[in-house]
Amino acid sequence: MLRDKRLFLVVAVLVTVAMVVSACGPKGPKLAQEINLNLGTEPPTLDPALATDTTSVEVDESLFLGLTDFDDETMEVIPELATEWKVSDDGLVWTFTMRKDAVWVHYDPATKKFTKKRPVTAHDVEYGVKRTLNPETASEYAYVLYIIKNAEAYNTGEITDPAEVGVKALDDWTVQFTLEQPAGYFGGIAGMWVARPMPKEPIEQFGEKWTEPGNIWSNGPFALDTWEHENRLVLVKNPHWYNAKNVSLQRINYVMVVEASTAFAMYENGELDVCGVPTTEIDRVKADPVLSKEYYEGPYLCTYYLGFDTTEPPVDNKLVRQALSYAVDRQKLVDTVLKGGQKPAKTFACPGIFGTPAEDPNFVGISYDPEKAKQLLADAGYPNGEGFPEMTYLFNTSQGHQRIAEFIQQGWKEVLGIDVVLANQEWKVYLQTIQTDPPAVWRMGWCADYPDENNWVLENFHSTKGSNRIKWSNPEFDRACEEAAATSDPAKRKELYAKAEKILCVDEAAIIPIYYYTRVVCNKPYVQRTYAALGNEHYDKWKVLAH
Amino acid sequence: MTVQERAALRLQERPRREASLWRDAWRRLVRNRAAVLGLVVVALLIAVAITAPYIAPAHYAAGDAADEHTVPSWLAAVLPGNVAAYAKINNKFLLGSDFLGRDLLSRIIYGTRVSLPVGFMGAFTALIIGLVYGCISGYYGGRVDDIMMRIVDILYAFPTMLLIILLMAFFKTSFGGTPVPGTPAYTFNQINKAVDSILGLRGGGMLFIFMGIGLTAWMGMARLARGQILSVKEKEFIEASRMIGASDMRIILRHIFPNIIGPCVVAETLAIPGYINYEVFLSFIGLGVDPPTPSWGNLISEGAQALRSYPHLVIFPALALSITMFAFNFLGDGLRDALDPRMRGTS
Repeated sequence: MLRDKRLFLVVAVLVTVAMVVSACGPKGPKLAQEINLNLGTEPPTLDPALATDTTSVEVDESLFLGLTDFDDETMEVIPELATEWKVSDDGLVWTFTMRKDAVWVHYDPATKKFTKKRPVTAHDVEYGVKRTLNPETASEYAYVLYIIKNAEAYNTGEITDPAEVGVKALDDWTVQFTLEQPAGYFGGIAGMWVARPMPKEPIEQFGEKWTEPGNIWSNGPFALDTWEHENRLVLVKNPHWYNAKNVSLQRINYVMVVEASTAFAMYENGELDVCGVPTTEIDRVKADPVLSKEYYEGPYLCTYYLGFDTTEPPVDNKLVRQALSYAVDRQKLVDTVLKGGQKPAKTFACPGIFGTPAEDPNFVGISYDPEKAKQLLADAGYPNGEGFPEMTYLFNTSQGHQRIAEFIQQGWKEVLGIDVVLANQEWKVYLQTIQTDPPAVWRMGWCADYPDENNWVLENFHSTKGSNRIKWSNPEFDRACEEAAATSDPAKRKELYAKAEKILCVDEAAIIPIYYYTRVVCNKPYVQRTYAALGNEHYDKWKVLAH
Repeated sequence: MTVQERAALRLQERPRREASLWRDAWRRLVRNRAAVLGLVVVALLIAVAITAPYIAPAHYAAGDAADEHTVPSWLAAVLPGNVAAYAKINNKFLLGSDFLGRDLLSRIIYGTRVSLPVGFMGAFTALIIGLVYGCISGYYGGRVDDIMMRIVDILYAFPTMLLIILLMAFFKTSFGGTPVPGTPAYTFNQINKAVDSILGLRGGGMLFIFMGIGLTAWMGMARLARGQILSVKEKEFIEASRMIGASDMRIILRHIFPNIIGPCVVAETLAIPGYINYEVFLSFIGLGVDPPTPSWGNLISEGAQALRSYPHLVIFPALALSITMFAFNFLGDGLRDALDPRMRGTS
């Protein structure tokens, strides 16, 4: 009896020891080439023809290749699917020669098997561009391609024959674009997601569902493994990509956490490897011995601005708009509310964009000047804000935008003595509202699609060729934008854009530029990464180091 | 004493007996320590809400962004983590300041002007609509009752929160902002402004919250009132008054009402914390009062963003909220014990 008991004890102890040893045994460095990121929200679409927002584009950038790409450092246009391109002497015909080793792959998430389908050809580019422009596709970003001959007419239903659109596959590896007018920046547009080659077969087979995992064909460095809507999205390395041998990451795990503070808590907890830093945490992060080493602040080609409904009193009066603009203390906003090294803005296009006078010392923009603001408001007929009608400042629901709105609201009350009603709407409703029935004042951010002023002033505020949410029409401004777009001489273009910016932001104060964005992130020390100035990260160049 | 005399005496006694019922209830209430505590706290909160401009150190919207996120030294010593390493220590604000340098204490004090009216107005509208609806349905019975109660059932099937969110989103987009003069939306907007200014708030949108909560809160009350009426209306004294020719109105108002009002008031007192909570939730998701008006929900929502760096920004508003909820719950419990007929005579 006693012996049995002893045996049992021995066995029990041995089992326990074995369990403990196996549990804390040599863990080994975590070398899985996997990275955990926060996508922030559910991407509205993964279809490149339909994408208009940074979330969708972030994922599409890993899945689909363009003819061209932007260099992370210099922002110059560099080859991607195209190996070289030629521009005719009149600047109207662009001919791209494509590489022959890019293939469409299909990935089956159930069996984890990749299937090579067929090469990516010039016909896919032609199909992709025409699909974006097809009115039935209803792409909201189709206007970016209007520089292509007959693109606008086809997209707006003026002509119905897609063959008239100025894009044509000359053979399997050569694609030719004919433009409406010369455009030095077209190299950048040719690489944008709306102009990417698209696979006809799955689109025709699955219709709207073609971007679901298991249906989708892709050609980029990564393929779509999982897309649990509103929850998570997983990309896996594509072994058949032409440069696959230089890709380290095997897996990208995206979560969709909307709250920035929640995401940052996950980062501190080790559940995310890279994460944006919420403004309220910046002071603590900078003071923390560990986090401060992981902190990064860098330029990001976006501008935060306030738009007006320039047809609605009282902001139909340019003196009122100027007064409002002079009464925003941008430097203080950046120092106290934002804290991420953002720069006060005096132009619409941020530094780093071709043609912007943002860093030109000769360009006198509007900056904080309470006396001048008061004077202008008095000139407009509202001395000390007396008799100023109530107006609404609308923003999309977010703590960050609300902070900025409250700061500006407080400033206007203090300097000008006027009351502004703050209201907010959810993002999709918000976009609809400011497009159809904008309130007196609303906020918006604009990020470069390609680093040229054309993408900024013309595409946003031209009275007919831009989205023109401010309902504004200034012939002099329109002419400057058009002339600059049609000119190839860089010096002349810069001059014209400076003129356009001056009319937009100073003389007419049709918008109030607030600040130029920065990217404020924390990276775990084992993440070796690149920073894409235009925001479309190249994860194929990222690496997870031993840790 | 003859029988008649005895009856006359009983009749004379009657008013005194009724008064003693309320006195009895009051006696029971003050004997309940938790209820008294609740009552005192509620009274204090009401006093704070009324005197907010005099007792708050600053106006809720006043502040200089240069004073953002300051922490008083006593708090810095108490809070976890090394707050002193990154926060500005400044004793100008007793409970610290928010991201625009506004005094947190003042904002919490002004927050009572949002939370208490929401609680009381919620209860008040629920009582008015619910009682009337429930009385009609219960008293007339039959088909009227069937139809009216099925409507309540249908509305009840909607999750209340979802209904409020939809209503709020609708009110905000239709009547919020600055609508064109002359339209119904403009009229609503003006009423809303009047409500805000009565409460001493600069642009809050309180009317919309009252409406949102009022329009969803009455259904429970309607059911309760109907149930109470069903149990009372078959009693002999009702039959008696009907026999001597009293009108329906008189029966409902003079004979039924006094018998059912107790449980209804108790139920609504217990529901007040729920209404306050609705406002907090709505403000938390950005559908509540408009900034810069502070409500506890707004404050908690803002504070939650900075939870890790400046936890006090969420702790104090949350504390104010939970103390209020406890107070109303204790008071409601006490009232029920004191008024509920079934509890009468027990201690």
